[in-house]
Amino acid sequence: MSEPFIRTASGIAVDLPRPLRRWLIEQAAAAADDAVSANGPVKRRLFGPIDLAADHDDPVAELQRQFAVEGSLGVLVETAQATELSEEQAEEWIRGLQLVLVAAAARQAIVTDDDLARIDEQRGAELQTIQALISLLIDALDP
Amino acid sequence: MADVDTGLLEGTDTTQKTDLPWEVILWNDPVSLISLVVRVLRKVFSYDLPTAERLTMTVHHEGKAMVWSGSRQEASGYCLALQGYALTATIQPSA
Repeated sequence: MSEPFIRTASGIAVDLPRPLRRWLIEQAAAAADDAVSANGPVKRRLFGPIDLAADHDDPVAELQRQFAVEGSLGVLVETAQATELSEEQAEEWIRGLQLVLVAAAARQAIVTDDDLARIDEQRGAELQTIQALISLLIDALDP
Repeated sequence: MADVDTGLLEGTDTTQKTDLPWEVILWNDPVSLISLVVRVLRKVFSYDLPTAERLTMTVHHEGKAMVWSGSRQEASGYCLALQGYALTATIQPSA
């Protein structure tokens, strides 16, 4: 595979294999579904309380977080087949990929380094794929 | 807009929650990349690279770091910004 993300004059050129793009769409859709699943591990992880001492968070803040998550994952799904991203879309990809990564970790109950060390090979490879995409995109955005 | 202090009327201190500095705490997680955390700290707080790297390594090695302090309202906004990148962040009043 050539460089998956390359900075251009107008944004970021994307060169990812089709199966990987389809997989990203599936992962982003799964994260979006799990983010609204009542009391599931992904929802608890993504929408943890801001103030641990408070009974509940500000409902406006709750909505802001929900919109932000839906927005980033939505952009990732909508532009997963794109060959070029604007700066703004690339930033949403960073957020979206990070949400996908953390959601996958939450599903597998990964909280500590020891948890991460004991997941099976396939799950580990999936996490590493997402991490690699984040790293490569950061390198392209901030050379 | 000023806070209304009814503490003298009610015999309780209702101003401390908003008047004391609040801290934004960033917590370690095993999957978020160090490069991502450095980048987010620079973007959200406009920190220079050495500051962002130092805070990130504190989070990595000690499990958490206080990454900002100030008003509760601003702390909440920064906390939401960090959570927008799926980082684990909370706020608390300064000890």
